[in-house]
Amino acid sequence: MFRNTYDSDNTVFSPQGRLHQVEYALEAVKQGSAAVGLRSKTHAVLLALKRSTGELASYQQKMFRIDDHVGIAIAGLTSDARVLSNFMRQQAMSSKMLFNRPVPVNRLVSAIADKAQVNTQEYGRRPYGVGFLVIGQDKSGPHLYEFSPSGNSYEYYAMSIGARSQSAKTYLEKHYKSFEDASLEDLVRHGLHALRETLQQDKELNENNTSIGIVGPASHFEKKPVTGESFRILENGSVRPFLDTMVAKEAADAPAAPAPAAPAAPAAPASGDEDVQMAE
Amino acid sequence: MDHFPTNWGRPRNDAFDAYGTYPIHQRPQNGPKDAFVDGVQRTQQPIVTGTSVLAIKFKDGIMMAADTLASYGSLARFKDVQRLFPVGDNTVIGAGGDMSDFQYIQTLLDGLTIDEFTAQDGHTLGPAEIHEYLAQVMYARRSKMNPLWNALLVGGVKDGKKFLAFVDLLGTTYSASTLATGYGAHIAQPLLRKAVEGYENVLTEEQALKIIETNMKVLFYRDARSLNKYQVAIITEQGVRISESKTLDTHWSFAEGIRGYGAQTQ
Amino acid sequence: MTSIGTGYDLSASTYSPDGRIFQVEYANKAVENSGTAIGLKVKHGVVLAVEKLVHSKLLVPEANRRIQTIDRHIGLATAGLLADGRHLSNRARDEAANYRETYNSPAPLKDVADRLGLYVQAYTLYSSVRPFGISTILGAVDQDGPALYVVEPSGVFFGYNGAAVGKGRQLAKTELEKLKLSELSMREAVLEAARIIYLVHDDAKEKDFELEISWIGPDSGNLHVHVPKDLFDEAEAKAKAALETFE
Repeated sequence: MFRNTYDSDNTVFSPQGRLHQVEYALEAVKQGSAAVGLRSKTHAVLLALKRSTGELASYQQKMFRIDDHVGIAIAGLTSDARVLSNFMRQQAMSSKMLFNRPVPVNRLVSAIADKAQVNTQEYGRRPYGVGFLVIGQDKSGPHLYEFSPSGNSYEYYAMSIGARSQSAKTYLEKHYKSFEDASLEDLVRHGLHALRETLQQDKELNENNTSIGIVGPASHFEKKPVTGESFRILENGSVRPFLDTMVAKEAADAPAAPAPAAPAAPAAPASGDEDVQMAE
Repeated sequence: MDHFPTNWGRPRNDAFDAYGTYPIHQRPQNGPKDAFVDGVQRTQQPIVTGTSVLAIKFKDGIMMAADTLASYGSLARFKDVQRLFPVGDNTVIGAGGDMSDFQYIQTLLDGLTIDEFTAQDGHTLGPAEIHEYLAQVMYARRSKMNPLWNALLVGGVKDGKKFLAFVDLLGTTYSASTLATGYGAHIAQPLLRKAVEGYENVLTEEQALKIIETNMKVLFYRDARSLNKYQVAIITEQGVRISESKTLDTHWSFAEGIRGYGAQTQ
Repeated sequence: MTSIGTGYDLSASTYSPDGRIFQVEYANKAVENSGTAIGLKVKHGVVLAVEKLVHSKLLVPEANRRIQTIDRHIGLATAGLLADGRHLSNRARDEAANYRETYNSPAPLKDVADRLGLYVQAYTLYSSVRPFGISTILGAVDQDGPALYVVEPSGVFFGYNGAAVGKGRQLAKTELEKLKLSELSMREAVLEAARIIYLVHDDAKEKDFELEISWIGPDSGNLHVHVPKDLFDEAEAKAKAALETFE
């Protein structure tokens, strides 16, 4: 029934000192559609690819607002994500209540990481099946973190998680040095380019399947008023101006100045995409 | 957390966690409870007390002062007690009221600063955060009918901003450029306002010290629970300095002629 | 390990016929796969250093710490599962805070190590939990001066003058034994620690790594903090130079 003797539950080390159940949980993250995060001196942004189960269904939710200064993008089990993001909201409120201080982002991420660690060490539980990219802003500027079911969390300049995220990572590794000084528009464009790498053939990013999350000063592309520099999620029509800055794939490898508005891509019909599946 | 493995798992508390959904370290204690917990009495009055604390804003930051007396009723019981307490690098709190409650608050804040220090992530608690925290603690305690019997001043400077605020045993808070607790709220506060308001960004350290000294002197003349030894805390962008105790130079010869003051027989 | 796969190695609550607890031994394997961590107890203080293996160049340097602070005067470095290290350091903070609450004085390191040993040991008793996949170096300057302990996955702990855990511990121990630790100043110890970490790092096998050093002692105001930038840079530069002459 099992792939090996040591993977049936999470309280067992393999002879190599590995935790197979935890490693399988990391696979659950890869079942979800991809999310990408990037950071500059002034902004942190998230981009995510939404799936839908069919033409009659809405698209999934990939981003959650935690507090004015923090937001997350998820890949993996959405229900686990909702539990964890609820916890993060509680932590954020508690910090406001106790100290009148927005919770430092790193502590928020560590808090869920510590929670996840417990699930890797006790019998009768499973590790969380979801990974987060967390962006936020605090006294030390904008940040991007990755949280994973193993209970680890890291801070990155740029990162991607979810299905085919390795391709996005390759793009980010190639370009990350230019992110630090990039404008918001350039940062999002890089993010979209990275996200595009995770698409299946013949698919493309469009208004329906793309979410953008931002912390930092507003872009001139944003129509809705932004209070301060707080976290907001752009979807549907609001994503359009950013999608229009994308450069065709062959040309994009030489990242020149932001290209003029690309020819309006036809709004692709919401084709029945494969959905996140919890079990076979 | 419960660090006795024998308490782990069963028998679990069905009333609280019937399905064992809590991680081990968050589960409630299943052991015996304190049998006297329902018979405990709450604080009804302070016992060993400190009197006024004064604080003002000046050009470079905040100046706070308190004498070093802890009284037991009308007895001048402890004459070398520090009532000014630094919290982190940017903040000082000063306390009047019950000194044992104040000592408890100090341990509370010490624990808090250690938590903050051990995070080692560049985030620190400033005066505003500490004041908010104290306000929550004081209000929560009074709502349990078990107040911490103090009036506290919180002063500090962080990120170029001066902060000075008050919180008391009821959880009442307010902020002003001059503050005083206890007897000082009646006697010194009007004098402080006159000397400081409008000059918060002008007064030099020397001038501020002079204002504080004058007011401590007035308080020593008029407040029977005060002492002629006091300390001054100066909080600036550079950090916190708390002085050794200074002695006030006062003259009591005038008292000879006043009825009720000296050794008159009628 | 002949008993592998016989079923005696699936739970921490099971002995093998020859009296071993395999799950604890496997936990040690998790430690052996991780970057090296070392601790030096010298004349006036303690220095901790780790070889932090960098799994991606997208990581923000210096942001992802592997040396934790437990109390003002206590530092902790782990080798093994990173998340377990955070769990144990949170526990250590609770213990140190609890000691303060009870005795109103900073915890002696021996007491913290003792309590952590008990805690870690408890995770070797039950099938409902797994042992900690970490070895922990604790360093402090307390009432009795500098102190250094290592807590292992089995729950045992020993005091050391120089300690090394993780992948490169053998070579690191050899290097530590060559030093006259009790005569070193804290600054010298920082330089030696950097040199040893650079020495034990296996360029051929491993990806990139980041050096992390902390200290406690008079030089740091008896607080456990990461070493200042200028000293760190000096130590790293000298370590690199020493490596070239070594080869």
